[in-house]
Amino acid sequence: MRKLAALVLASLMAISMTACGGSSTTSATTAAETTAAAAATTAAATTAAAAASTTAASSGSAVTIKFRYWADNTDYSALMQNIIKKFNAENGKGITVVGEEQPWDGGAYSQNLFNAVMGGGDIDCSTWKLTSTPLFVNNNLLADLTDYVGKWDKKSDIEDNIYNVMKQAGGSDKLYVMPWNIQVLYVYYRPSIFKAAGVEVPTTYEDFLNCIKKCTMDTNGDGKTDVYGFGMRGAKGGQEPWGSFIYGEGGNFEDLTSDASVKGMQDFIDIYKNGNVPPTATSDGFNEIIANFKSGLTAMTIHHTGSSADMEKTFGDDVSAFAFPKGKGQWTSMGDTETVMFESCKNKDACFEWMSYLAAGEGQKMWCEGTGNVPVSKTVANEDFFQNNRFMKASIAGESYSGILPIRDTTTEWIATVWPNTVSQALTGDIDAKTCMKTLQDELYK
Amino acid sequence: MTKKKKTFWPYLLVAPAVIVIICVVFVPVINAIAMSFQQYDLRRPKDIRWIGIENYIAMFSDRQFLNSCVKTLLWVVFGVGFQFFLGFGLALLLNRKFKGRGIVRAVSMIPWVTPGVLIGLMWRWIYDGNYGVLNDILMKLHIIDKAVPFLSQKTTAFPSVIVTIIWQGIPFFALMILAALQGVSEDLYEAAEMDGATSWQKLTRITIPSIKNTIFVTLLLRVIWVANSVDVIFNMTEGGPAYSTQTLSVYVFNKANALNLGYASAMAIFLAIVLGCAAIPYLRMTFKKEA
Repeated sequence: MRKLAALVLASLMAISMTACGGSSTTSATTAAETTAAAAATTAAATTAAAAASTTAASSGSAVTIKFRYWADNTDYSALMQNIIKKFNAENGKGITVVGEEQPWDGGAYSQNLFNAVMGGGDIDCSTWKLTSTPLFVNNNLLADLTDYVGKWDKKSDIEDNIYNVMKQAGGSDKLYVMPWNIQVLYVYYRPSIFKAAGVEVPTTYEDFLNCIKKCTMDTNGDGKTDVYGFGMRGAKGGQEPWGSFIYGEGGNFEDLTSDASVKGMQDFIDIYKNGNVPPTATSDGFNEIIANFKSGLTAMTIHHTGSSADMEKTFGDDVSAFAFPKGKGQWTSMGDTETVMFESCKNKDACFEWMSYLAAGEGQKMWCEGTGNVPVSKTVANEDFFQNNRFMKASIAGESYSGILPIRDTTTEWIATVWPNTVSQALTGDIDAKTCMKTLQDELYK
Repeated sequence: MTKKKKTFWPYLLVAPAVIVIICVVFVPVINAIAMSFQQYDLRRPKDIRWIGIENYIAMFSDRQFLNSCVKTLLWVVFGVGFQFFLGFGLALLLNRKFKGRGIVRAVSMIPWVTPGVLIGLMWRWIYDGNYGVLNDILMKLHIIDKAVPFLSQKTTAFPSVIVTIIWQGIPFFALMILAALQGVSEDLYEAAEMDGATSWQKLTRITIPSIKNTIFVTLLLRVIWVANSVDVIFNMTEGGPAYSTQTLSVYVFNKANALNLGYASAMAIFLAIVLGCAAIPYLRMTFKKEA
């Protein structure tokens, strides 16, 4: 009897332990999985299933599309949920989109998405950044959209150049990525600080460097800097504004070791060494540069229209923007946000309906008006809302010379680890500009 | 003479736990060992192949790897060392009777129960060079005359994260040592008192020898946990600036995140072997006792 009881107990133990097993291994796979699990806490899942399924039942078979996205703040989160609700209510084709929000988390969104899709996760489409494209294409995870876009009635509403950039990221003539919106980096500045420093909006790269120096001021005479000329972003993500300095001296991303590229890097080092940027620059990320600008610690910083609504709320008319000025060359980062469909999607036609609604339909208008991002749809871009906004104007002014980093399978690691640490070494004097640029070149093109 | 009856029941009852441990611990470890002998990079899945010990050879000529080994040694020595001494002091204090001791015991556990991610984020803002409360306090006390960018410069970033891990780990030592102290008989101290022993002699001749096994086990556990920890450093500095806070675990994490799993696995196996060697004295002691 006791042995039978012991056997039953052992069986129950086995079942319960299998249900809640854990691990203390230090293996790298577990480290990556643990990271993915920790970062994948879902913020919200939109459901209009009850209402939409009634409509679907009357018009045909109901189809559910699982859509993963990130939102930069709670306003954008609510906006996306509204767009989903509107699409679900109005599409008339029985399509119900279920949104699953995940945090961007400095790029961990893309890594978590990869883990989820590779692990057989139930996601049909998601928002996207081009830098992830080689990884997913190499692992055959993305659906080919070439035919879908080819037959799309609004195909010509988006510039051919934008489709070409999408194809370039995929490394072939196939189109894996659907354009959605772009963010062109420009320079925010404070007119009141410019007035106090006695400077005008710079029209050349040399003027811009001069402006940075003049706007670095001790405003209360205590011998300490109270306003820094520029809010440098030295943490990951900083490679985008940094690129403008490289091109300003005539350098480029194809050859980071040229004399011109090295000179651009030296300009970057000099504004740090000369105290024209906050000493925290080596670790300042998005939150820090925005906080520094909003607190009046910096006179200028580089970002895009995504933050413009917040800036206007803080400063009213005492904030404006200009496109990064021309030097020997000119470049500004074209932040991209797109959508992709996964090969595992079972309802590709329905999924493409949703993606096209975001790219050139009402979804495009709602999202771009709500976030201040630059629309890819020419029809939407011509509306008064976009033509009359000073930040949108600065974005549009920079569009002609905006570009992206080389999209390679090394780009993600380069952005996350190599760039921030190597540039920190250069800023703090561990290595010189030439060595820094050689390391960046070698790591990006290995 | 009695014959010892052979029974399979102990093995059967232990079997479920062993099976689960094999599945969730040993299988991934074996998988990691296998990957460490491969060029296993998910960014280039068509190039995955067996390369023997090439990853291990590459490690020892990788400056970042060597630098992170040095950082790990400093991280463990100073992090665990100060945790131990301060935790020991706190345990001795909490072992005395005083008013409010219960509340002090509960409050002193807060750093230990706070999740590592939250600790990293919290301390990141405490150390912030523009808005951090630490700079504010130090300037108001006139200890410094301008804010120190603790996490933005190489000279202060690593000591700053070490202070954070010390703060986190003190309660663990305090708790374990306090429990052991409560098992030390008062009679020993009374006898020593009668013999004229000083406080220092009581500490070194009675207290420490009585709790030495607990000290040994907690030090070993903490060395392993701190050496493996990623969360605090990652949330504070991500291994920067300029790789100054990149311990080996953080380097493994960054490489794994970049999907170069073969190389990351090789470094992880190396770390596991080093920590395994640290556990050998404990294992020898355990087996010796059983024998």
